[in-house]
This record gives sequence, C-alpha cells and structure tokens, in this order.
Amino acid sequence: MTASKRGKTTALLMPPESNPSQHPLPELGGSEKLWVGRFQAMASDCDILMEGLDRSQAAHLLFIAASETWRIEYKFSRYREDNIMSEINHSHGKTIRVDDETAALLNFADQCFQLSDGLFDISSGVLRRIWHFDGSDAIPAERQIQAIMRHVGWQKLKWEAPMLTLNSGMELDFGGIGKEYAVDKTVLALRAESANYKPCAFVVNFGGDLACSGPRLNGKAWVIGVESNDHDSAAVATVSLSQGAVATSGDSRRYLMKDGVRYSHILNPLTGTSVFNAPHAISVAAPSCLQAGMYSTLAMLQGDQAEAFLQAQEVQYWIQR
Amino acid sequence: MQLKKHNTMKRVKRLNTREAKKIGPALAAATCGVLGIASTPALAQGEPGTWDFDVANLYYAESDSRVTAVEPVFSATRYFSDDRQLNLKAVFDTLTGASPNGATPSDQVQTFTRTSGGQTYDVEANDAPLYDGFRDTRVALSASWLAPLNREWEYTASVYGSSEFDYTSIGTGGTIKRYLNNKNTALNTGLFVSFDTVNPPNGTPPPLAEMARIARNDSDDSKTIIDALFGVTQVINRQTIMQLNYSLSQSSGYLNDAYQLLSVIDLNPGLNYGGNFQVGGNNVYLYEARPDSRMKHSIYWQTKYALENGDVIDGSYRFMLDDWGINSHTFDFRYRWDLGGSYIEPHFRYYMQSKADFYQRYIGSDEYSAGNLTEATADYRLGDMDALTVGMKFGWKLKNNKEINTRIEYYLQRNTGDNGVGLLRAQDLYPDNRAIIFQVGYSF
Repeated sequence: MTASKRGKTTALLMPPESNPSQHPLPELGGSEKLWVGRFQAMASDCDILMEGLDRSQAAHLLFIAASETWRIEYKFSRYREDNIMSEINHSHGKTIRVDDETAALLNFADQCFQLSDGLFDISSGVLRRIWHFDGSDAIPAERQIQAIMRHVGWQKLKWEAPMLTLNSGMELDFGGIGKEYAVDKTVLALRAESANYKPCAFVVNFGGDLACSGPRLNGKAWVIGVESNDHDSAAVATVSLSQGAVATSGDSRRYLMKDGVRYSHILNPLTGTSVFNAPHAISVAAPSCLQAGMYSTLAMLQGDQAEAFLQAQEVQYWIQR
Repeated sequence: MQLKKHNTMKRVKRLNTREAKKIGPALAAATCGVLGIASTPALAQGEPGTWDFDVANLYYAESDSRVTAVEPVFSATRYFSDDRQLNLKAVFDTLTGASPNGATPSDQVQTFTRTSGGQTYDVEANDAPLYDGFRDTRVALSASWLAPLNREWEYTASVYGSSEFDYTSIGTGGTIKRYLNNKNTALNTGLFVSFDTVNPPNGTPPPLAEMARIARNDSDDSKTIIDALFGVTQVINRQTIMQLNYSLSQSSGYLNDAYQLLSVIDLNPGLNYGGNFQVGGNNVYLYEARPDSRMKHSIYWQTKYALENGDVIDGSYRFMLDDWGINSHTFDFRYRWDLGGSYIEPHFRYYMQSKADFYQRYIGSDEYSAGNLTEATADYRLGDMDALTVGMKFGWKLKNNKEINTRIEYYLQRNTGDNGVGLLRAQDLYPDNRAIIFQVGYSF
C-alpha cells in the first residue's frame, strides 16, 4: 500500500505514556471502504488495514494497535537500558524474577529450543559480536568462534519460571520472535476490542510479517503487497491471505563472501557458524504469526534441507533461493 | 492462500529427501501458551494439513443376559485451509444376546418360530419371552464435508451408509449455516434423506400375520426417512451459549420391526382366562403392525455455561411429539469439572415417554376373533416408559492435544401399562431393563 494510494491521512494523537519510544504519530488514511493505519515500530512500517468500521472506530483500533506494539517494543528491546531485557542481560549471574509476560516468552523460547533440538536459541545473539555481515570477506577465525560459543546455549542458563539465572557473559534477545509476537498480540487486542462492533475485518502487517482476522467482508482473501528482499528490483510480491498469518525470514543483503563462498547472516547456534546454502527468503503460512515465523526461521537454519523440512511440516511456504 | 509471483519468489517442487521432524503440534501448544489463549481459530487441532483421530470402544451390557453390544468407533477429521474439513467415520457394532420379542410371559412353556426358517425356540414358564437368535454385526460408514461459502455462510454435505445382515441404510444430507451479528448468532437449516431396506431371512412377515401359519413374501421392504432441521445458536455473553432447534422427521414405508410379536390372550371365562389363546392346540401369536407413516416434531433447547474457573455446565431439554400419539421429554445435565490436566464430567439424564396409540401389551381373544384390528404393537420401546441414566466421564489431556477418556454409565428403564387379567396378572409384563455402558476413547 503506497502513500499515494492512501490519499489524505490524519495523524492520531497519542498520550505520551502510550508512546514511550517517541515514535512519529500513527497516521490514518483511506475511507469507509478500507481504512489504512500506519505507524513505525521495530524498524518496520506497521500497517493496519481495516474494513467495516466508521472513522472513529478505525482510529480507536489504530490507537490500540500502536499502543500494544510500542509497549512490546519498549519492553523487550535489547537497545534500551531501562527495561527487562537490560535487567536480564546485566544480571551478572544473579538470579532474577521476571514478570508473567516475560516468563511466557521465555517458556516459548524454551519450548522452541527443545523442539528444534537447539537450533532456535535466544542466547545466540552474542555471535553478532564476531560476525559482521557487511559484504566483506571478514570471516571470524575458528578461535574466535570457540571463544564466543562459551556464551551461547540455552541449556547453560537456569530457567525455572519465574526465576532466571544467566551466566555472566551470556545475553538473551527476543529479536527472533518479537515482531511475530507483536503481530499476534495486536490481532488479539483488535479482535477483543472489535468484538462488539458490527462485522469487521482487518490485517496486521509489520513489514511483511502479517496476520488477519479472517477473510475480507466480501468473503475474499486479502491481497497484500510484501516488499521483496531483492532491493535491486522494484518488484513486489503479493500475498493473498484469508485466514491466519504469514511470516518471512530472509537474509536480504547481509552476507559475507570469501573465496567464492557466500556466508549467509543465518547463524547456527550449535556451531557458531553461518548456515551453508540458506535460501534468500522463506515465507510460511500458519495459524499464527509466531508459528509462521518459527517455521520460516527453523527452515532457514536447515540450509540445503530447508525445503525438505518444510515439506515434512505440511505447511504452505514459498522459498526464494 | 497463494502467493502470486511478481519476481523470483517461487513455490518449490516437492523434494524426495528424508523426513524431517514434525514440530506442528508442539509449536501450536507453545504458541497458545505465550499468547495466553486456549487456541486461536485454526490453532492446534484444526490446523490445515493435519488429521485428528478419535478411536473409542463402547461396551453395552443389559442385565439378565439380554443384549450385549461392543461398538468400536473410528473417526478421522482432515483439516484444510480456509476452515474446510472432511470427517470420515466408521462404526462396527457387534450385538449378541436376546431381546424381548413382544409376547407376554406365561405359566406354560412357550414355543416360538424363528424368523429365519422353521426353527423353533422355547421359553420357560414365567420367563420373559426373548428372541434369542440375536447376533448381528453392523458396519456403518459416513463422510461429511464442511466448508465456509464466505464470511457469513457455511455448508456441510454428508453421505452415510450402513449394512447388517437384514438391514441396509443409505442416506445423504446437507446443512446451511448463516452467521449474523459478528458471529454471535448462527441460523442453521438442514435436510437429510435416508433410504432403508429391511430384508430378514424369508422376507418380512405381513402385518398381523399369525406366527404359526406364516406365508412369507420373499421380498424385502423399504422405508424412506426425511428429516428437516431449523436451528438458531446465540452467544448470550462471554460465558453462555444457547441453542434452539426444531426438527421435523417424516418416515414412510415399512416401519415394523420384523421380529416383534403380540400374544393373543384368552378372555373367555374359564380355566384359561388370561392364558394364551389357542387354536388347534397352539398358542396364537401375531406379528406386529404399525402405520406406514410417522411424522415427528421435536424441539431441542440447550444451554452451555462456562464458569470463571473453567468448569462447564451443560443442560438441555428435548420435547418430541409424533402422530403415533407418542410424546417424550428428555432432560440432560452435565457438569464438566476442570482439574487442570484432566476433567471429571458427571452426567444425569431422564427420559419419559407416553405410549403410541396402537401400543397394547397383548391382543384380547375377542379383538382377535372380531378380526377388525389393523394396527398393534407390544414393542416396549413404543410403550409408556421412563428411563434414567447416571454416569461419569473422566478425561485425561495428554501432551500435544491428545486425550484419553473413559465413560461409565448406568441405565435403568421402566415400562408401565395394563397389568392384564386372570392368569396374566401373575406375570411380570414390564420387567425393568438395566444396562451398564462403558466406553474408552482416545483422541490424537
């Protein structure tokens, strides 16, 4: 949905407590036929498409969506020094008690670690200290990898909800699931908020990770433009979605090239090295955005075996190699 | 859902590589946990591309060595995208034992002819006459397809077939559902048609034919049943859902039970007053005769209420009225007591029915001699009766949406009616029927 198509937009006034990161105000455009709300969060354009609503209802739902998304972003960002992630990552081996929502996310991360046999690991973010995907040939030395790997491994920390003990030097990062989580939470919040409205339908699209309330009011699927990973072309892929969610994992332009071998930015937390022959992008459809995101992330980590993995999951998917 | 190709993204062909580990159910469960929801629509069970299976075995045993039934059920549901689903079900019944043949007990030994050929069986004096050649296996298969037409309309289509040695049934039907009011209201209408064929060995006995002198027509007989349903389901509030259905059922054709008899009782004053009426030294028994059509109306009301603690109260009432003069009331109450990983569900059901106009426990010799009887049955299922079911179901939820459940119920049915005259008054014309029902099921 491009700006020119949206026509006149109005900025939505937000109380400061709903906008802790001081993002630009959300904008509402479109008409009774289709409302288009947009705001920024998690380094993405966040679009809310809504139909079956009057202007004030659409504005209210956009307010709910932006508040919920900004709340999640603020709470779980690893770039802030005044939130739970900072508390966790600066605990220096001390046991800390976390709140219910953080505990639920840690449980989810734990379950995903188990069911992926360690391939999904929210403690793997420290690998980025040695892997800089700047298009150069700066591949980390084996010695560097061995050193950093001492701080990677979910099994090394102690998690007994709500008590978490993280070894000094380890860091946790919800970056791998945060946006998908925000999409699902926003859908749930909008669904609850609109329960007493007349029939309405909406799509929540955070930079290509998207979920809908169901088909459009005319029974047809939503058709959503998704920005291609291939920035060289202006091509846009469209997703048609009538239920559930789609999430995309991709390596965009981020890679290293050495001796003719392309090292993708997908890092295997079991080896500390780049996954060989990972696809450029994988999109997966699933009932929720978290599920879709987990399928696409785990498929990426399979490298060569991505297709076989997705076949076995019996999910709908698209791969760009 | 489809992705249109505008650039290099493409759907990849199937590859023949080794099977990877399937994470779907565990991932769905983990997602429900983090989102704090029981399931999102289409989450967990009901995820496109998955199958749900239910297997259960039901054991039914009546007291006094009457009918015993073993009934394994297999059900599988395949979910497709866009909320479409296909359900396939197979039921295998094995019935053994004996069931009342309609005749009255007597102070003399009674001899009956089996429907299958000229064999006979004896019933001891003062015993309830039971047809003992009762052993049958039934196989029933059904398939139904459910799909939305759009956001507000949904349809189902189904086919059904069953077969046992003397009875076959095939049927088909469909329903259409309309959602209103943001899916808080659903209107439902459906139509089902079934064609049944009754084919006992040697054909069906003619109505009111004498058992001893039966000239069978070797042909089979059939009936047609048309059911129409109109219903409304309303979400009252976050805890309460209510359903009201009206259904109409029209049966026509051969509606008799080919094995049901009536005793002719001697009403002539004398030593045999109230005993079996005899012609040529043999007791007279007549095959039953029911009307050849039946129209039933029923109204069903159900309310489910979910408590804050996760328990569910489920109460329902059904009223049925037909043009045979039967009306019935069914009260059903269940309380699902949620225990976290498991549940207990006590169940109570009470049923009462008034008899059909043509029900009579026996035929008087005067009616028999007058020869103007056109309809009669002594089938206890069409008499005045009430029935009580009390039971308990236990369910254990396992990982990955699997569930084991077991159900045990006690059933008590009592018939009442005319207690007869003379010698017959010494007999128990309405023995109670008691049964134990035990079922074990597994969903995965």
